[in-house]
Amino acid sequence: MTGVVVDVAFWIFAVASAWFGWRVFRTDSMVRATFSLLASFAGVGAIMVLLLVEYVGVALFFMMGVEMVVMAIYMVAFMMNPAGINPMQMLHQRRVATAVGVAVAGALAAVAVAADLPEAPLVAPADTIRALGHELMGGSMLLMQTVGVTLATTMVAAVVLSSARGRFGPADDGSRPPPLDPDEQVEAEPAQAAARGDGHGHGGHG
Amino acid sequence: MIEVAGAAHPLVAAVVVSAVLGVGAYAVAALETGIGARVAGHPLGVTASLRAPLAQAALLLARPAVVTERPDGPLWVLAPALYAALAATALSVLPLATDFAVADVRTGIVVFGSAEVLAMVAVYLHGWAPNSPLPLVGAYRFIASGCSFLLLSMFVLIAAALPAESMSFGRIMASQQEGLWNVLRQPLGLPLFAVVALGVSFFGPLDFSDGHELAGGTAAEVSGPPALAWGWARRAMLATYAIASAVVFLAGPSGPWLPGPLWLALKALAIAAALVWLRHTVGRVQIDRFVLVAWTVLLPLAFLHLAIAGVVTLA
Repeated sequence: MTGVVVDVAFWIFAVASAWFGWRVFRTDSMVRATFSLLASFAGVGAIMVLLLVEYVGVALFFMMGVEMVVMAIYMVAFMMNPAGINPMQMLHQRRVATAVGVAVAGALAAVAVAADLPEAPLVAPADTIRALGHELMGGSMLLMQTVGVTLATTMVAAVVLSSARGRFGPADDGSRPPPLDPDEQVEAEPAQAAARGDGHGHGGHG
Repeated sequence: MIEVAGAAHPLVAAVVVSAVLGVGAYAVAALETGIGARVAGHPLGVTASLRAPLAQAALLLARPAVVTERPDGPLWVLAPALYAALAATALSVLPLATDFAVADVRTGIVVFGSAEVLAMVAVYLHGWAPNSPLPLVGAYRFIASGCSFLLLSMFVLIAAALPAESMSFGRIMASQQEGLWNVLRQPLGLPLFAVVALGVSFFGPLDFSDGHELAGGTAAEVSGPPALAWGWARRAMLATYAIASAVVFLAGPSGPWLPGPLWLALKALAIAAALVWLRHTVGRVQIDRFVLVAWTVLLPLAFLHLAIAGVVTLA
């Protein structure tokens, strides 16, 4: 790619990333906020590809893809305003946040302007992926293997804990469905028995 | 950045990707009509099978689009576009001839994997945007199934990359020209990848998100041109997966006598026909049963597959 194309692409992705990052805090919908953040990260990934960090840039797409999908589920499940139905403030501690934001942006800008950055044009290194592989399976092998096994164990443990059927019987044993009418008292009888059909009949359901 | 099959000019790339996705999706739709009629016991002629998808498309174009109460308008429009764009992205790294790919990048399988992960976002948004319960159920089902089958894809593609000593699809194809085809060298790969193909395009036995019992799932509230766009995008994704399977396991466009693209088309058509046949003969699996089987049976099988591939490559 020629230099001009790379420059234009860089600015497009940079502005898009910043704009989507801003949208995260301007929307009421948790889904829009989450996927705006994903779009912002995708722009950063594209810039990394432009900077010839090819593998890390592309890997950012799928890592952030899975991460943001899972985050969307949790945001919708646990935030007070999942679908933008109730008004909700996405901003907290505005004064502190503004001060920190201005200070950090100023510091980074000062570094960019004042630092003596090298001007050598970037050449695509022949074998970054091979070098990355040798690093992961060579010098950093103990660290990476420990992290890998820990992550795999965490995943399996999380799946086992959240599984409906475990070694100690069904996880929803004894749980009761919430009543449709909020004022209604929750029945003392476990719903399991009623669902199986061996509970005695209840009267009084309208 | 570019491996054996090279890169195309952006204009050529746009034309080639649009043409392959358009023809591929149409071929899948025609196969569905033809094989469906045959399985049902009333075989149709080739002309009738080819004409039926066009008639269906024309019918959808003529129908008005439905609007629900307070939908997320932009996301509703963008979801099929994103899904089709991801199919195009995945297609762009695959070699379409022995010396031609839109972009045979070094990180081919990572780009392909990213596209299939982001497909989860597209399907979720398609179910989220109409602001309606059944599409939303479909959206959540797709994420539950996606988190279960996407790891399979990673392991299968990494296993195919081992004998090629590269993550580029061009080199994966080239490694099979010299040695055995991956379908023989790595026998578990193609069945596992077929699960991923059916899952990502939520097709046939793995149609969790758009199933009939959800009145169409994420597509329950779409009709008219948006329904056509969604149906086309799904079939384009399935066509992309058929081509990817042909490249990774059947050496793609390489073969004697015939030109490369023709070999690729024949192999991809055979795989697409097999997937469509599964759609018409195998019942839809329950989502909870699928998730259980995916995590406890298919994922360990994929580990085993990768381990065997590693040992065979080193031997």
